[in-house]
Amino acid sequence: MSDIKSIIKGIDKLKPIPQVASKVMSIARDPESSMSDLSKVIVFDTAVTANLLKVANSAYFGLHDKVDSVHQAIVHLGMDQVVDLVVISASSENLKSAQEGYDLNAGDLWKYSVSSALIARELAEKKEANEINLIFTAALLKDIGKVILNQYVKDSFDKINALVTEQNFTFREAEKKVIGIDHAELGGMVAENWDFSPQMVEIIRNHHLPQKSSISEFESSIVYIADTICMMMGIGVGSDGLAYRFHQEVVERLSLSDRDFQKVISGFCEKLEQVYSMIRI
Amino acid sequence: MSLIVGVSDMKVSDDTEATLVTYSLGSCIGVAIYDAVARVGGLLHYMLPESSLDPEKAKKNPFMFADTGIPALFKAAYKLGAKKQRMKVIVAGGAEILDQKGVFNIGKRNDAAIRKMLHRNNVIIDYNDVGGVVNRTIKLAVNNGDTWIKVSGKGEKKI
Repeated sequence: MSDIKSIIKGIDKLKPIPQVASKVMSIARDPESSMSDLSKVIVFDTAVTANLLKVANSAYFGLHDKVDSVHQAIVHLGMDQVVDLVVISASSENLKSAQEGYDLNAGDLWKYSVSSALIARELAEKKEANEINLIFTAALLKDIGKVILNQYVKDSFDKINALVTEQNFTFREAEKKVIGIDHAELGGMVAENWDFSPQMVEIIRNHHLPQKSSISEFESSIVYIADTICMMMGIGVGSDGLAYRFHQEVVERLSLSDRDFQKVISGFCEKLEQVYSMIRI
Repeated sequence: MSLIVGVSDMKVSDDTEATLVTYSLGSCIGVAIYDAVARVGGLLHYMLPESSLDPEKAKKNPFMFADTGIPALFKAAYKLGAKKQRMKVIVAGGAEILDQKGVFNIGKRNDAAIRKMLHRNNVIIDYNDVGGVVNRTIKLAVNNGDTWIKVSGKGEKKI
């Protein structure tokens, strides 16, 4: 078993999430906040502003008029969507690189993260969730722990794989057994380290639903289902394969049918190229 | 030269320099077909078993579904001179999440869809690597029909 303390120290090697992301997330949580509150926070970060405008003008959104200010972006896309785009822009640095331990090429984890987040948003809207931004961001960052655990998974892959193939472990369970910590747990620690809300920490830690969640069960379930759908579509699937548990009771509790799954898959598939070109910008 | 077949996509080729490849199948299915006499190859990457889910989408993109994508794949290869009775067929993908049962097991349903369809049309599957929890990539060389299946984390094997 690896030294857990030194694995956890790996959190410090991540690029710190830009302040603007934490600020827009707290604006999103505050029902009193206005468009101008949001706009004021974003314009201070020129890199994020530039990126936001490029993405807002991408084919994915298909806006008729060109957007050339943060204010216009908020008017056209709405506050919720702009918050999501700022968080996307702020997260890309950490998630774009290759993760050899998971057999993911450069960009794979990034596509997976953004796809999970977009699908989670769609499901959250369908289920009339209150905290759409929370769900979106948690889905986007749920696998941040893989960036740190990658090296350890690489070193111990044979042992992890043996538990998965011979003893019906999920890949996450096998990580925990062999390395002493799994990517979801580690991701929760990253979220804590970045001072994210307790709900966010819990959803990230719990995104494979290893146990019943205490405070964010509904949100965790949405993120879990978005992740499941991505895996089925082969998005972001690497050496861990699809070796995670399917919780039919969770799907049924949300009144989702197999047809709903297929509808999400076919709908997202149509947008796939646009999504990928949007995040390459 | 690599010709990449995207998700819900299909390509055929008689260019002997070309290699057809489709990545990261998950629960989707990759179908590679090859006629060694005509030296024509084709590759399909479909996601879902039945076009009845959304006939409009199927019309726009038949390669999304097994029942519309598979006939389109064979027809496109026939156009390049391939013949059904000479066709070698390789099927890969259709993985499932652990404990994914019944109607939610889209990987298994994707596999059942192609078996049923090819059986009904008297086409034999020459090689089959489907199911389980692993992620696959499939590659076909148009020159001689050599086919490789890569399993993420476990390397590539020629079949």
